[in-house]
Amino acid sequence: MTALLETRGVWQRFGGLVANSDVSISVGRGEIVGLIGPNGAGKSTLFNLIAGVLPPTQGSIIFDGEDVTRLPAAERCQRGVGRTFQVVKSFETMTVIDNVIVGALIRNTKMRIARQKAYEVLEFCGLAARADKLAADLVPSEKRRLEVARALATEPKLLLLDEVLTGLTPVEAQTGVELVRKVRATGVTVLMVEHVMEIVMPLVDRAIVLNLGKVLVEGKPNEVVRNPEVISAYLGDRHAVGA
Amino acid sequence: MDTHFAQRRRRDLIMAACLAVIAALVPLFVKDVYVQNIMVLTLMYAALSQSWNILSGYCGQISLGHALYFGLGAYTTALLFTKFGVLPWFGMLAGGAISAVIAMALGYPCFRLRGHYFVIATIVIAEIALLLIQNWDWAGAALGIDIPVRGDSWLKFQFTRSKLPYFYFALALACIAWFVTWWLEDSKWGYWWRAVKDNPDAAESLGVVVFNSKMGAAAVSAFLVAVGGSFYAQFVSYIDPESVMGFQFSLLMALPAVLGGIGTLWGPVLGAVILIPLTELTRSFVGGSGRGVDLIVYGALIVAISLALPRGLVSVFSLRKGAAR
Repeated sequence: MTALLETRGVWQRFGGLVANSDVSISVGRGEIVGLIGPNGAGKSTLFNLIAGVLPPTQGSIIFDGEDVTRLPAAERCQRGVGRTFQVVKSFETMTVIDNVIVGALIRNTKMRIARQKAYEVLEFCGLAARADKLAADLVPSEKRRLEVARALATEPKLLLLDEVLTGLTPVEAQTGVELVRKVRATGVTVLMVEHVMEIVMPLVDRAIVLNLGKVLVEGKPNEVVRNPEVISAYLGDRHAVGA
Repeated sequence: MDTHFAQRRRRDLIMAACLAVIAALVPLFVKDVYVQNIMVLTLMYAALSQSWNILSGYCGQISLGHALYFGLGAYTTALLFTKFGVLPWFGMLAGGAISAVIAMALGYPCFRLRGHYFVIATIVIAEIALLLIQNWDWAGAALGIDIPVRGDSWLKFQFTRSKLPYFYFALALACIAWFVTWWLEDSKWGYWWRAVKDNPDAAESLGVVVFNSKMGAAAVSAFLVAVGGSFYAQFVSYIDPESVMGFQFSLLMALPAVLGGIGTLWGPVLGAVILIPLTELTRSFVGGSGRGVDLIVYGALIVAISLALPRGLVSVFSLRKGAAR
């Protein structure tokens, strides 16, 4: 079976800054793939390219067998790419359920059904009790879950999670991890950017490490964390003993 | 929770129906022409502000150039009637359609602008349109158009002896604008608009085509405002550029919604009911020396309300869990 998502030789330049250079990755159906790397490695840029916020300077992006390189974000969502934002972007003046309804409307034209669907997604994400609260009144960890719920309501094939576990307490993070597992169990492929290695590594099937805009290594999580190049990228050469 | 939501929607509808019936009965007791005149204007501004609220309140694209569509409606109706003998009823629809098309044509470049830059563009475009009309000889230029009075008739939408027909038309217009808002609020468009207002990037990522959403809101909003303009032309039976396209109309459409509660269902109605009678009264009792005093009243009111109730007057009632806040 072909990969669900593939980037082929993707470059992104912002003026003189090269954020992604020749990035080729692929994500198989049903996988949970972690995209990791130090600050400024180009993870968020790659995410934005996959989500369609901007087109790459060069290279192509194949989703579900179709070249989506030039498609805007809304059309990629239509085709099954859902995403969250690193800095949460809730619709603050709307209630929690209304936030999720916006996502549900892309697959359901009838309001009553979209509302019902949104409610189911909220239950799935453990936010049903907060349905009638304003999004602005949620605590940060709930806002993160709302981001996930909203994206799930669009019924994505691929869910892009941008640091949803970062900045949470260990308990909250653990709930988050379970949610990601539950999402995968429903058949959704997950690509997640994450900072906190200890949390991500047990969760993902495969890890891709970006450094300085390039793919440094990819492989099984336990192999990746022991890779000398990865250690030196994160901690500096001094710590890469045996490299 | 589904029923809770449906209940609230039904309650709004019932309340609107009751208010409309009460409003319809008022002229039976209030015979004073001056007061009736104020009631007509109040209803008209309620309708206009409700329409403005669709684009600027729900979709968040603050327009201070809606006088353009008001004027377009007034001019289309007046020109079609005086030059071609087209009945105002058709003029109204034509004015609405022309305004909707122009709103989209202007939106095409302007909706790429965000925030203050968009607001500035709307002001400038309306001012340009005003200047163009002032210099358009065929349309009466700065002198305007005198709509010939041919006797009382619903067909020609002219009434010289009584204000009541205008009152009921204005009431119908306010009801239609309210109902359209109510209906859109729980439609795909309503959700899309609010999402676009709160966070366009997030909206786009959820499949909302932000640009089209704005275009849709602009078209609906401009159409309804133009119908209001057509009505106003018939009501005053004489129009000139400054009196239907002046900047003050843009403000008078925005203010009731802003004071009442921007982006809410009841805000524009509430705002108009308080603001319009107040300005009319100050104008006639203290406004002899010019327009200064009623403007001072606006200013004072806006400052007072925005300090005390940043979410508008509707927040006092907190009728709408969520929507009003």
